[in-house]
Amino acid sequence: MGLPDHRPERVVKIARRCLAALGALVMAYAMIGALADADVRPGALIFLIGVLVAHDGLLLPLSIAAGVLAGRLVPLRQRAVVKAALVVSLAVTIVAFPLVLGRGRAADNPSLLPLHYGRGLLEIYAIIWATAAVAGGVQALHRRRAGPPDPQSPPATP
Amino acid sequence: MVRDAGPGVSPADLLRRGVAWLRQPLPAPPVALRRGPLRRGAFDSKLRSPRLTSLLGLALAGAFTVCFGTGLISHLIQHPPSWFWWPSRPVGLYRVTQGLHVATGLACVPLLGVKLWSVYPRLFAWPPARSLAHAIERASIAALVAAALFQLVSGIFNIARWYAPMPFFFTAGHYWSAWLAIGALIAHIGVKLPIVRQALTRPTPDRTAAGGLTRRGLLGTVGAAAGVITLATVGQTVAPLAPVSVLAPRRPGTGPQRLPVNKTAAGAGVREAIFDSAYRLSVVGPARTVSLSLNDLAGLAQHTVVLPISCVEGWSSTGTWTGVRLRDLVALTGVDPDNAEAYVESLQTSGRYRASTVAPPHTRDPFTLVALRLGGEPLHPDHGYPARLIAPNRPGVLQTKWVSRITARNAS
Repeated sequence: MGLPDHRPERVVKIARRCLAALGALVMAYAMIGALADADVRPGALIFLIGVLVAHDGLLLPLSIAAGVLAGRLVPLRQRAVVKAALVVSLAVTIVAFPLVLGRGRAADNPSLLPLHYGRGLLEIYAIIWATAAVAGGVQALHRRRAGPPDPQSPPATP
Repeated sequence: MVRDAGPGVSPADLLRRGVAWLRQPLPAPPVALRRGPLRRGAFDSKLRSPRLTSLLGLALAGAFTVCFGTGLISHLIQHPPSWFWWPSRPVGLYRVTQGLHVATGLACVPLLGVKLWSVYPRLFAWPPARSLAHAIERASIAALVAAALFQLVSGIFNIARWYAPMPFFFTAGHYWSAWLAIGALIAHIGVKLPIVRQALTRPTPDRTAAGGLTRRGLLGTVGAAAGVITLATVGQTVAPLAPVSVLAPRRPGTGPQRLPVNKTAAGAGVREAIFDSAYRLSVVGPARTVSLSLNDLAGLAQHTVVLPISCVEGWSSTGTWTGVRLRDLVALTGVDPDNAEAYVESLQTSGRYRASTVAPPHTRDPFTLVALRLGGEPLHPDHGYPARLIAPNRPGVLQTKWVSRITARNAS
């Protein structure tokens, strides 16, 4: 029986310091490089701050609010499936919205954004929500087979 | 001469003092400010846990590493430093690395979104900063989140070719922001390592509100979202999936001569120059210059290759190209084609991509053509009529169209 071995903790401590120092160096390289690059321009800084504010101040709170609302409106048993479908729908919407908007189209280049993206997005929504409906149905079937609901679980209606 | 540091003060002491100063507690902010989301228990989801965040963070770190590596490859091919070397084979390697770059970036959208949701309450931690060291750490997290969002949003805008909301040159902004993101990620892993270790080694019960998503359910949802996004877009480079990729910014077979176009002849301002009967391709070497009309070019040995156009935007499409080998043209000037590089210029008078340098491995490669035909027909004006460069394993922006001049040099 000896003293407790502190070597692994020491290794972790050194690794952490190295990672933090390396990360700081790479960040400094990025900032110096961006400042020295005439193509970056102050607009990049505005965009950097803009996406952060738009996400943390707008998109995320609105998403959380939508989740709370879904929690109030949707019966308990379907809640998980509905929330999952909402998350998938939101993620697809973020990728699709500049395509649906179609501002990148060019009159002389029909090979650019050649599809009807609004319709494509609706098709994906249809698949997501049809899948969610099937998943909800299968879950309900399993519950019915498993017998009466657990008396300890809260009531399904608010 | 050292005046400030008194006798007996070593650099280690100074460092220790500095660290202690950074760690000194800051005065507590007035409690009256603790309102709204800053209140205790403002966020009530039981789904959030260090384990969930660690699992998502691990997946995100892997995905960002893939994006950073493939993106760096693409950058180095386009701006090669002297030490960099990129092969001409396998012909479709760049198609894979760049396709992976864009597909991985798009799949990160739900991953990053849910990861940030899982730590959102920490944005409203009280007090906002316990010490200067804590403030610096929080600033570096802000940089990480901002740079990560910058990468995904600017990338999505770029593949949709929507440049108006980006007040900077996309390529440069995306490149430097990538370094910021990866640096902040490395530092973040260093700071959070003990939490991640503990979260991944100790079992954490999958607590959840009644009827809510479980941790496993949420992770499955993130995977499903990534899968849907991938299927909806990856057909822009994986042609068999094109019919299901209803959100693909390109279709591999859609465009003139069944190939997409990035820059049209009209857009490049070459519509008149390309149909000029006085068109000659100049091949310039140190010893002599050869001037070739379109008929002269057609009279040289013709070769046919099947090569993809692989765009930096992640789409790719395979074409059957016929034309003269670049190495044969280089040999006309007396330069040894096995040890040469070629500077290929377009009829375009301006533009970032009006010329490209073909490195020795690609100049040497018998697959590298100055193509005159695509799919058996003369090149469509938008594909580079009268002649264009097509080389294996290179980004599309470097496959110079409407070629007017080739300068051959001995590679040192």
